[in-house]
Amino acid sequence: MATDFTMEPAPDLPGSDRTYKYVFGGMRRLIDRLWDIDVSGLEHIPREGPAIIAPNHLSFCDSIFVPGVLPRRLWAVGKGEYMDSWKTRHLFPAMGMIPVDRSGGDAAKAALDTAAKVLDGGHLFMIYPEGTRSRSGNLHKGRTGAARLAIRCDAPIIPVGHQGTVDIQPPDSVMLKPFKECTINFGAPMHARDFGDPDDPRILRRFTDAVMFEIAQLSGQTYVDEYAGKTDTPAPTPITAPTPGKPSPNGRAAEITLPPGRREQVAVNA
Amino acid sequence: MGYLEMNLAEVIEAHDAARIALIDGDTTITFGELRDRVGAMRAHLVASGVRPGDPVAIAAGNEPLFAVASLAILGVGGIVMPLNPSSPPAELQRKLVSVAPSMVLIGEIGRRLLDHGDIITSPLVDMTTIDPADGAVPPIVGRQPGDVAFYMSTSGVSGVPKVAMLTHRNLEFVQEMSVSNENPLLDSDVTLGVLPFAHIFGLNVVLLASMRVGACVVLQRRFDVDESLRLVREHGVTMLTGAPPMWQRWADADVPDDSLRSVRRAVSGAAALPFEVFAKIRDRYGVEIEEGYGLTETSPVITSGRGAPIRATSVGKVMPDVEVVLVDPDGSPVDVGDQGEIVVRGEGVFVGYLDDPDTTASVLTEDGWFWTGDVGIFDDEGYLFLVDRVKDIVIVSGFNVYPSEVENVLIEHPDVRGALVVGSPHGETGEMVVAYVSGTADETALRAHVDSQLSRYKRPTEYHFVEELPISDNGKPRRRELR
Repeated sequence: MATDFTMEPAPDLPGSDRTYKYVFGGMRRLIDRLWDIDVSGLEHIPREGPAIIAPNHLSFCDSIFVPGVLPRRLWAVGKGEYMDSWKTRHLFPAMGMIPVDRSGGDAAKAALDTAAKVLDGGHLFMIYPEGTRSRSGNLHKGRTGAARLAIRCDAPIIPVGHQGTVDIQPPDSVMLKPFKECTINFGAPMHARDFGDPDDPRILRRFTDAVMFEIAQLSGQTYVDEYAGKTDTPAPTPITAPTPGKPSPNGRAAEITLPPGRREQVAVNA
Repeated sequence: MGYLEMNLAEVIEAHDAARIALIDGDTTITFGELRDRVGAMRAHLVASGVRPGDPVAIAAGNEPLFAVASLAILGVGGIVMPLNPSSPPAELQRKLVSVAPSMVLIGEIGRRLLDHGDIITSPLVDMTTIDPADGAVPPIVGRQPGDVAFYMSTSGVSGVPKVAMLTHRNLEFVQEMSVSNENPLLDSDVTLGVLPFAHIFGLNVVLLASMRVGACVVLQRRFDVDESLRLVREHGVTMLTGAPPMWQRWADADVPDDSLRSVRRAVSGAAALPFEVFAKIRDRYGVEIEEGYGLTETSPVITSGRGAPIRATSVGKVMPDVEVVLVDPDGSPVDVGDQGEIVVRGEGVFVGYLDDPDTTASVLTEDGWFWTGDVGIFDDEGYLFLVDRVKDIVIVSGFNVYPSEVENVLIEHPDVRGALVVGSPHGETGEMVVAYVSGTADETALRAHVDSQLSRYKRPTEYHFVEELPISDNGKPRRRELR
């Protein structure tokens, strides 16, 4: 499984070159000994230049195994809560994690700007399009952030589908179970320009859905057209309630009531 | 009662009597003359027993009698039900049965209906024979803003023909937006009245909004590309409003390239305007078309291109005092920057479908949110872009396929004249994509063309080649006829 690895020093970007090199170097050797990982499609990872790595998300350890098998260093966003714990506050950012405040607003924008800096610097950036782990095991509707970033930085998205990480680290488990199997499949790079005019906002959902379709092919998951963790995760984008009497393009209402005739349809779809 | 009283019929009352209101061929009608004719019609209606709240139907085209009749019905407190005068009598009768109007007022264009008193059971009144009032003219009756003013036929949101009830305030709200925005309609404007007045777009955006500001409407009874452009030149039309098929014909017309030089605002609505048409009009005539968006149920304007730099293929920005939210099927708002069903609230939103509380409840909530059935997305500057109809979405293995996206790819093939895409049940994937194509392309060529442009799940499984596709006169695809 071991692949040649290029370190890509990046003193201007968040993270520590030394920490990444030594921690991931150790981790890669450990992964090699403790788990049987079947990797395919590594030829799709460009040897240089920017790319967005977009995997499905089932377990915390996805963030170890996917970067662990890649031939290049990468950066990724991680939830802001990691900055609240002494255990992760120093290590994760040193490993290239860009914390994102999921309550949204300027903090989320700052994280996106940093991500753009990573890509503009010609590096790999990893983002889970589902936004959070899928508890159902299904592949959920992708958030459009990866597509937005791809257009902004003219970077391809590489869809990634994996299986088996939930068995290695089930939800809410801290420990990783050794000697289990895991499959990680990398797909061919996808370019936004193949999906329409980058200035037309309709490209965002079109491109995102196309990426999710490829991820579903690579992971074997069933796709559900609904955001992951809809009920238990705060939205990663600003919430503004429309005020009666004020225009509120694409604002978020506190609550939109569902016409009774629709309730049945929703129940049937669900 | 009374302190809030109003009546839409008052839109023509304040203008200078000598100003020209309507031009119909060689005839010009001033606001003074229009008020007299509307007053005479009010006298006739009252004498015929029409009382406030009574529905009265109009079968007339874009002719002065349509304006006279509708303002008179409103003036006596009645409810106007405009009919398409060229519909078959039996179809009109089906629409009239549930409404049981006091009478059907027939204009010059609907005259053939006078011979069908056996089919249409409501009394038919030939408006051309009504004499000027010789007695006292009854005053305009005060109405509450929420009183119903129009019964508008629509097959809009659910596809089944229905009657949308629009109030005096619904229409007034949208008219006020045309006069209060940054690039308002002015009394010096000349508008071409070619969109049918029996539809909300022609009725409220063209006819009544122009009447409100005191602008002049040049009537064209039936669309004809050369005649409409001749009217534009002859009368110096400044406001040119049309549906996409009209803009297509104007773009290709055999006329000088300065034919639209008097036009200061060009507006398209009713269906999506193809970018090629927008570009051709811009490049050829130097006019940029503003696209707007709305439905009969919203009187109709929700978004408009006016007052902001025009963005091609966008339907513009949300009108002031209108709320729009994009939602998932369960009603939760989508992420900012994602697409969802357009849900709207504002004073233009109708009060319901006539005698159909169930259908009303399926699209309109008690707190006033109207579910349009259209999917849209905003860009970062607040411009709305339409994606497709919710009901037309084909779901393949859980993924949404928007028919218009597939159709647009098919139409790009040089041997395709038109294309419509629908879903059909499929054992493994839930639904499959089925394409109906007109033109000379064959299936092998289309598959090769589509394979290079669409993700696998969006590619049609079946192709059917047809002579004609079901597309409405104003350019809306009628996909349900293919399902």
